[in-house]
Amino acid sequence: MIKHHPKFELLQSYVNGDLPASLAIGISIHADMCTDCQHTIAQLTEQVAEHSFEEATVRLDDLDSNSFTSYSEEADEEDFFESMISNITFSDDADVITEALQREVIFRDKTYQLPTALSRIELGKAANIGKLSRSRLQLDEDEIHSSLLHINPGGGVPAHTHKGFELTVLLDGSFTDSRGEYNKGDFILLDGTFTHNPISQNGCLCYTVANDALHFTQGINKLLNPIGSFIY
Amino acid sequence: MVVEQTKLPTGVSHAKSNSMNENIDHTQLSEWLNQVADKRCKNAFTHLFKFFAPKIQRIARSKFPNEAQSHEVVQETMSNVWRKAHLFDANKGAATTWVYTVMRNVTFDLLRKVKSNREDNLSDDIWPIAEGSVTEEQVYEDHLESNQLLRVIEALPEAQQQVVKGFYLMEMSQEQLANHLNLPLGTIKSRLRLALAKLKVQLGEEHD
Repeated sequence: MIKHHPKFELLQSYVNGDLPASLAIGISIHADMCTDCQHTIAQLTEQVAEHSFEEATVRLDDLDSNSFTSYSEEADEEDFFESMISNITFSDDADVITEALQREVIFRDKTYQLPTALSRIELGKAANIGKLSRSRLQLDEDEIHSSLLHINPGGGVPAHTHKGFELTVLLDGSFTDSRGEYNKGDFILLDGTFTHNPISQNGCLCYTVANDALHFTQGINKLLNPIGSFIY
Repeated sequence: MVVEQTKLPTGVSHAKSNSMNENIDHTQLSEWLNQVADKRCKNAFTHLFKFFAPKIQRIARSKFPNEAQSHEVVQETMSNVWRKAHLFDANKGAATTWVYTVMRNVTFDLLRKVKSNREDNLSDDIWPIAEGSVTEEQVYEDHLESNQLLRVIEALPEAQQQVVKGFYLMEMSQEQLANHLNLPLGTIKSRLRLALAKLKVQLGEEHD
């Protein structure tokens, strides 16, 4: 049962196409498994579409300022559009849509099906520390890092916080932290003020996005801070 | 939840959706899209182009610094409309919604190309164009309808409300109602008829 969802504002930015690919992918993965959010997204899309295309005329404002140039610009634009139409309709071919390919990944001998949103993104080689394995997604979004993070049964990430944000979408399995249990499909977005120590009893696979290194907060694990950026 | 807020139209948003309908002829747009899909009709496409292209251009202009890029969005979006029109399903949503998703995806891929220098065209994996909405939609639709129906019933005069609720919601017979309300059977029948006529008008209006 999914309990954690993206905030309304985030869904809105998703629908508008304003989010970086990494976050849009996170929401897409969640929505794939969450009919509530699917419904909200469908509704928001309808609304923003209606709003985008409702304005009756485009150039009303231009007319009073300088009608002469705006007329000739309009004529130019008309020519331009005419030629675009004939270019586009030159060929009668229609696109054939192929089934989204099902992609699988293997972490420590376990095979997982990846969601459609991840089906074509290049994956880096898996790196392992103890019960954690991480494979970086090649999205090239500067300081934003996206990964697949696999936790073996009984493993966990030591108590940490972030300077930026940390998104976790559970693709499979479950984990717990001080706030409770998280299950497949949960969308967990934390900001830098929150400290947590996720532990996975039975193992899990997560899609993670973070825009800065982890910062370990407890005892001996503080020694790990130099490699904090390694995990997420 | 938030869903509830957007789902139930208030007086204000209802008035707004009426004015939207005046601005956009959804039926016409869907028809053109279907003609493009079925008959590769250039005339229908030209109509679609004239409706959408200037608006797409204006929206793209606000997202991209130069004109060439906004033209690219128009060009790409409209050629996708031409080549993918068969993926549009009028039962799943409005033509505006479909064209919007096509435009949003084109814009996203182009922005990514500009910003991250990646030409991986991820958008169709993130927002699949083929299936606008999901099977569960049906369930919600019913849910909506019954909510709306209830609202309209509540708006009936008290006397008619009693009869409608008794007959349809509590499933009492007309005779039972006559007994229960201590009224002649003929009165029950005529109130029911009046109420139904009103409901029809109300629901018809709201559906258009």
